[in-house]
Amino acid sequence: MTPILEVKHLTMRFGGLLAVDDVSFSVNEGEIRGLIGPNGAGKSTTFKMIAGFLSPTSGDVLFRSNNITNQRPSRIASAGVVRTFQETTLFQELSVFENVLIGTHKQAHTNIISAVLGLDRQMQNEAIEATTEVLEFMGLAERKNQLAAELPLGLQRALAVAISLAAKPSLLLMDEPFAGMNPEETRHMMELTERVRESGISIVLVEHNMKAVMGLCDRLVVLNFGTVLDDGTPDQVRHNPNVIQAYLGGG
Amino acid sequence: MNNFIPAKFRPVLFLLLLYAGLIVLPHFLKYHQQDFLIFLTINILVVVSYRLVTLTGEWSLIHAVMMGVGAYTSALISKNFDISFWITLPLAGVMAGLVALLLSYPLFRMTQFYFLIGSFAAGEAIRLSWIQFIKPFGGTGGTSAIPSPELMNIDFLEPIPYFYLVLIVVSICVYLLYRIENSRIGLTLHAVHWKGVLAESVGVNTWNYRTLAFVIGSLFVGIAGALKVHYIGTVAPKQFDIGFMVFILIWVIVGGYRTFYGAIIGAVVLSVLDEILRGVEQLRPAIYGATLIFFILYLPGGLESLPQKIKQKFRANRESAT
Amino acid sequence: MELLIQTVVNGLIQSGFYALAAIGLVLVFGVMRVVNFAHGELVMIGAYTIWFVHAQNGVPYLITVVLAILLVTALGLLMERFLFRPMTGDPLGGLICSIGMLFILQVIATYVGGEGPSKQVPPPFEGTLVLMDSVRIPYQRLFSITVAVFALGILWYFLTRTKFGWAVRAVSMDREAAALQGISTIRVSMIAIGVGAAMAGLAGALMAPLTNINPHMGHNVIIAAFIVTIVGGVGSLPGAVIASVLYALFHTFVTTYFSGTIATISGLVIMVLVLIVRPTGIMGHRVSE
Ligand SMILES: Nc1ncnc2c1ncn2[C@@H]1O[C@H](COP(=O)(O)OP(=O)(O)OP(=O)(O)O)[C@@H](O)[C@H]1O
Ligand SMILES: [Mg+2]
Repeated sequence: MTPILEVKHLTMRFGGLLAVDDVSFSVNEGEIRGLIGPNGAGKSTTFKMIAGFLSPTSGDVLFRSNNITNQRPSRIASAGVVRTFQETTLFQELSVFENVLIGTHKQAHTNIISAVLGLDRQMQNEAIEATTEVLEFMGLAERKNQLAAELPLGLQRALAVAISLAAKPSLLLMDEPFAGMNPEETRHMMELTERVRESGISIVLVEHNMKAVMGLCDRLVVLNFGTVLDDGTPDQVRHNPNVIQAYLGGG
Repeated sequence: MNNFIPAKFRPVLFLLLLYAGLIVLPHFLKYHQQDFLIFLTINILVVVSYRLVTLTGEWSLIHAVMMGVGAYTSALISKNFDISFWITLPLAGVMAGLVALLLSYPLFRMTQFYFLIGSFAAGEAIRLSWIQFIKPFGGTGGTSAIPSPELMNIDFLEPIPYFYLVLIVVSICVYLLYRIENSRIGLTLHAVHWKGVLAESVGVNTWNYRTLAFVIGSLFVGIAGALKVHYIGTVAPKQFDIGFMVFILIWVIVGGYRTFYGAIIGAVVLSVLDEILRGVEQLRPAIYGATLIFFILYLPGGLESLPQKIKQKFRANRESAT
Repeated sequence: MELLIQTVVNGLIQSGFYALAAIGLVLVFGVMRVVNFAHGELVMIGAYTIWFVHAQNGVPYLITVVLAILLVTALGLLMERFLFRPMTGDPLGGLICSIGMLFILQVIATYVGGEGPSKQVPPPFEGTLVLMDSVRIPYQRLFSITVAVFALGILWYFLTRTKFGWAVRAVSMDREAAALQGISTIRVSMIAIGVGAAMAGLAGALMAPLTNINPHMGHNVIIAAFIVTIVGGVGSLPGAVIASVLYALFHTFVTTYFSGTIATISGLVIMVLVLIVRPTGIMGHRVSE
């Protein structure tokens, strides 16, 4: 079976800084793939290049064997690769419900004529149903009329994931979804992530929380200073002296 | 509140009363007041279409010129090729929309400050072309003797029939714009405004949506431009200069840009104020300027936010009293 | 050939005005992130001061020039205090305030000067320097360009050699970082708008005997200043000066051989092109969001 995502020789240079240097790895269908490494290792930069938010200096990204390098983020998202953001990114001024509703864009976007004449009503109702489902799945249903800005931090992170789930991705790129969560919230988010995978979505997870990474991921890629240090199961990686060195050395 | 009328019917009733009022109103007005009513109605379309453009968060300074594009299109085609107003009116919209589409490519490579200045520059370049190219535009003095609409035996040189025409066209356009804003497209435009990258990450092509808002907004203001010049009979570059653009900005800001109604309230209130200020012609721009500054400094939500503000104040007073 | 030389000379003289007018716009944008739409009106007020105080009431020209500078500087400081300072962090709000101010200043000018045709100020320096048969420079123009270059020189010294100048440049590079280093951004804003307004007042005072004075003359000034600012690179003073020379030469040439309107249209188109290709202009640094 071909992998759902293949990253080949991806390189990103910012001026004199090689933020990502010849990184290659692949993600299998239905897998939770971890991408770890010390601060500044180039994880977010890799995500941005996969999702089209940055143009790589060189290298390719293949999604289901199609080359998606340098495509517009919206196009990559429509193809099924959706990212979340490291900093909590929401439509702060809109309600929780509207936030997730915007996430259903792929399924519900319409043209101006249908919008004016109301020909898209069926489609919009389906989008509303889908939104309700996602809200329930993420445990946000009771909060749906609140403003996104008013949610506590843990729920804001859940909402960010909800928005991307509403986009019905086949591959979800999650950038530190556990950051700032307490143990209770972490446990809950781990459960949710597992359930997302069970629903058939492949996941790449960038995370510093080792408990979450080790508990969830099938395989890990370790980055350090923009290069791949190791690639293997959590157990293999954990015992690689280079990895231990990188983490200790990097503080 | 009144409990005899179910809440569902209140807006309908309000609209019925409004239109009944608007239909009889011109019969009680003097000649120049009828003119005023016509321009006010047209200006409502101007601000509502501008609102669509600003929904994505970009404040363009080219809207007045887009109105001019529609006005010149309709005026020149109907005059030079003897084509009916009923055909040139939609053509005006189409032309303004097309010009907007062409301009969107360079303009939307910019954001914020650059977009503002870029839209100003592009608009000024177009407007100066009307001055420079006397053929076909007519230079600084513009073009006059623009034919008025023909339909059965109605005399559209008279204000009252023309007002009814404007009322119908503007109502249809404003209704369409209302539908757009309240549709899925409106929601997406809000998304593009508040967090473009997040919208992009769930598949919204922000470029296309910004262009869409710009093109549709320009299309409708082009129609407003045609409505205006076919009544005045003259089209000239001065009508669409930065001064008029500033009026549009003032109406939207003073009315409030958070809701659909804000801009309409702004246009109506300020235009009526403007009528009252007719006696002090020279001072008018300064009063406008001072109003603008006052609102941006002390009431940035605009007039529409006033009831809410008063309510809050009232509540705060009561709480401090108990 | 001589027409060519004459055009170059006229263009160079024009560039002095553009540079003086654009500097203020660049400084205020750099330091406060506000586009001051009323900047052209500051120039207009400078010109009106010359017309009213010097031409109408007989006060000597040079004294009136100083007066114009002081008056316009005061106006600039008032705008900073009551419009731009409350609007800190809201570029659109600042811009809109400046548009409101623009109207108010135009009305004041109309009141002082009355309606009717544009005003003219008879040149205080008469006579013409004849270089070749048909290359002539009126002494008034010679005076203007000399003063303009001199003023730009002082400004240059001020910005590169003094502590204040260093603070101004630090704030336009990065407002937050400068504030962290203990630079008072309010003080720097006042200096920026004060210096910018002084230059605008000077530009108006120098232009007054050479142009038609009316309440709407600021419009052309601001368009030229925008073009120069964008082409030179937002926030870059050397860029603004270089762009002033280039644009003045360009504008004068196109005006001489075609027409003033075509010159302005092409200027605007060039500006849009620069915005597309290189939004930061020929010398500017990227403005942080
Ligand atoms: N737009 C940019 N311009 C210049 N340098 C950048 C840019 N984005 C990131 N960098 C640099 O690239 C390197 C990699 O950054 P990146 O954000 O990918 O790290 P990361 O692995 O996600 O770190 P963290 O765990 O802290 O999120 C860092 O040194 C960062 O400073
Ligand atoms: Mg990161």
